[in-house]
Amino acid sequence: MTTTDAPIEPTLSVRNLTVNSAYAELLHGISFDIAPGERVGLIGESGSGKSLTATSVMGLLPETLAANGEIHLAGGHGDLVHASESTLSQLRGNTMAMVFQEPMTALNPLMKVGAQVAEIMTQHRTVPSGQTAAARAVELLAQVKLPNPAEAALAFPHQLSGGQRQRVMLAMAMANDPQLLLCDEPTTALDVTVQAEVLRLIEGLVTERGTSLLFITHDIGVVAEVCERVLVMYKGDIVEDGTVEQVITNPQHPYTKALIAASNLSVVDERGRLHTIATSAITLPTAAELAAALEEPAVGSPAAAAAGAAGAVADVASADAAAAEPAVAAPAIASTPGFVIPHQRRTDPDERIIFNEIPGEPLIRVRELTRQYKRRGGGKLFGKPPVVHGLRGLDFDVAKGQRFGIVGESGSGKSTLMRLMCALDEPTGGSITVSGQELAGAKERELRDFRSQVQIVFQDPMGSLDPRMKVEQIVAEPLRGVSREESRERVIAQLESVGLDADVMHRHPHQFSGGQRQRISIARALITRPRVLVADEAVSALDVSVRAQVLNLLSDLVDEYALTLLFVSHDLGVIRHACDTVAVLSDGRIVECGPTDDVYDNPLHPYTQKLVSATPSISELAGRARS
Amino acid sequence: MLLTIARRIGIFAATLVAASIITFLMLSILPGNAARVALGIEATEAQVAAQEQLMGLDRPLYVQFFDWFGHLLIGDFGTSTVSGQEIGPQIGDALAITGVLVISSVILALLFAIPMGILSAVRQNKADGVIISGISQIGISIPGFLFGILLVALFAVKLKWLPAGGWDDPGDDFVGFLEHLILPAIALGSVQGAVLSRYVRSSVLEVMREDFLRTARAKGLTPNRALMRHGLRNAAIPVMTVLGLQIASLLIGAVVIERVFAIPGLGSLLLDKVALRDLPSIQGIVMVLVALVLLLNLLIDIAYTIVDPRLRSAS
Repeated sequence: MTTTDAPIEPTLSVRNLTVNSAYAELLHGISFDIAPGERVGLIGESGSGKSLTATSVMGLLPETLAANGEIHLAGGHGDLVHASESTLSQLRGNTMAMVFQEPMTALNPLMKVGAQVAEIMTQHRTVPSGQTAAARAVELLAQVKLPNPAEAALAFPHQLSGGQRQRVMLAMAMANDPQLLLCDEPTTALDVTVQAEVLRLIEGLVTERGTSLLFITHDIGVVAEVCERVLVMYKGDIVEDGTVEQVITNPQHPYTKALIAASNLSVVDERGRLHTIATSAITLPTAAELAAALEEPAVGSPAAAAAGAAGAVADVASADAAAAEPAVAAPAIASTPGFVIPHQRRTDPDERIIFNEIPGEPLIRVRELTRQYKRRGGGKLFGKPPVVHGLRGLDFDVAKGQRFGIVGESGSGKSTLMRLMCALDEPTGGSITVSGQELAGAKERELRDFRSQVQIVFQDPMGSLDPRMKVEQIVAEPLRGVSREESRERVIAQLESVGLDADVMHRHPHQFSGGQRQRISIARALITRPRVLVADEAVSALDVSVRAQVLNLLSDLVDEYALTLLFVSHDLGVIRHACDTVAVLSDGRIVECGPTDDVYDNPLHPYTQKLVSATPSISELAGRARS
Repeated sequence: MLLTIARRIGIFAATLVAASIITFLMLSILPGNAARVALGIEATEAQVAAQEQLMGLDRPLYVQFFDWFGHLLIGDFGTSTVSGQEIGPQIGDALAITGVLVISSVILALLFAIPMGILSAVRQNKADGVIISGISQIGISIPGFLFGILLVALFAVKLKWLPAGGWDDPGDDFVGFLEHLILPAIALGSVQGAVLSRYVRSSVLEVMREDFLRTARAKGLTPNRALMRHGLRNAAIPVMTVLGLQIASLLIGAVVIERVFAIPGLGSLLLDKVALRDLPSIQGIVMVLVALVLLLNLLIDIAYTIVDPRLRSAS
């Protein structure tokens, strides 16, 4: 229900806001209001103008950009677009406050966080003295639920986790009880379970104090958690404005429809492919179809439900439970006839369980794999440095042709595992064999064959491509002992296989979008015809629509080249779509492993349950928004 | 934090020992015999042998080293083989002069570099910012000794405002001391100041792009106040690294500048002793220079630990 029609003065009123750079108009005259206490989400892809809108309101646009139009805050502060720096300084942090995306860099690293919170109060003289500000800072840190607020106030930012830093930012923003809180992707950089807590906290604080909220995100799920109303931005325009429920269940604008379809990793078309903005634009699902898809109960067989119930009572004889399930929930691996992926969980942290054990000779066999790190600088002047456990003993197999997902939050050990499996790091114990070759302790020259067999697609599509090389050089780089003509032919063929034209060969990485760069990375990975493709958060940096395209492409290529896929991600939804098997990693151990749908629908381990509930599906969100 | 500093001091001590071994070995391995140098070229082999025994040069090298190093620790640099004078007091006097020169040139460099660097960063697209950048660019391109000669030509020879060289003890004639200090300190500090201002500028520019500066603006701080309160301390960290390296090069630069201005500092002393082939003195002076550079590095490291909480130990 929008409250913009109410006779009371809106907290924020934006009229005809345009933002221009020297070359182009970036915002095309947007207008919207936010009522007192209203929580509004602003959603759109990167480059759609979401952040520009918020920075315009704060008056913090870079000098190279110029805003026009009108922005008014309740209370007669005049038009902010044309306000002086001193007027804006008095409003910023006092009447309106902002929380930014990057918790790692948004706080001053040399200043105690309590002092940073106190500063916003002394700056606006909302407290009588420095001591009151310091005391009030501790209170605020308690309100954002930091453990030991008095101690936390004396901590420096680097001593806090990302989630804790974002709580500090929030304490700071709420210190002077602003009318309007602007949040720019505040939880995007956080783990899902931490994200859920911080979102709840933001919602709680603004509801309690009646603060108006403008919440920017690319994630429709996050909007549904926190907001009542959504504005959808597309290429510098607001294309849709409605309640969360309306927009999710009955989107009007084609872009919104496509965005919702592409966000939904559990809905696929008749060919088993994700909806993308492009495909959706051609064959948009009708509103009715979409609603029907959303109404569908989560896929789960009665057997799986029973297994879940049994799992709560005792450790399931997992092979039996899996065997009892239909083949849909537990697909057999083609290369290992008769093998059905078991659904296993860990009950005792120190018990040795071999997950996904495959009879005979699996492609990848990992046994008792450990990786410890020595921490430098900590502890005593002399004596042994403390040891940090990256991995605490992993046992699992991956069959040829299996799509094996590894999911976990930061610190779970998934990146360590990825590096070990690509022989980019040495384990401190245990073994990894890939098609019979032992990686632990192997010399670099013994790994030459392995290196061409296993290829990686990295997360950061910008950082992982050398900016000074042309696409042709990048893609051809892994090829050895191949003539120039053949190399070029193979590059062209490979680029075409990932949906890029041959003429992109002569361009440099910066001339491509994130999705295109990730296609180039995939082409580079596949040119040696590897047997194993490792995807390390390969779609995490991409917009939802592009993410769907790249996932579809990966899926096609895995089929086409008969690849074994290892997909490392923090995102359960992505793993669910891309993989048939998933291992859940927590604190250096696998806590649960099984067929993806099964793990998703009937998580057995408490940690998996927490993870699953922190990432609600679109259909669940629609249900929540209705209630 | 104390632990970190204790560790740094430990590393300093170990490096100092290693440096003394290297210094000692290098001068021992060099061709030329201290005993022969002391006696002159007309001495007979027997005289040289007797002199070697007298100077302890006939003992094994490691015994000589421990003897030398042990005396160093109690501040005894030995006696000159040429003049027969105590080396320690000579070095002490020269060091006091060089110290004054280097410290005043560092202060001059900082007084120029910090405001100019900040100003040219804040006003990077404005005319005055560009002009300041240009001046410091010219400063970098001129060698210190050349600038020193130009200064002498203008202020001493043409205008006759200041003496062209020499030195006055501040206890004897304080005004004369200042008059003698100004030109060499400017010559030595100007190049460093120009280089440093470039680093200050880029460091401030860097910090102005930081997210936490935007946070400070969002808290209601004006741009200048945000830079003062949150920016400068962060900008100081990389500048400190450069400053540490520069002070080391200032000590070396002083050797040349002291020659240009005829100042009886450590540099002049070293060059004199080299000309006389007075090996024990050379050894002592080089050791003092090495120890000074190491000490400055230690001080910079400790300063880092104080400025940057991330470098303090995790506890």
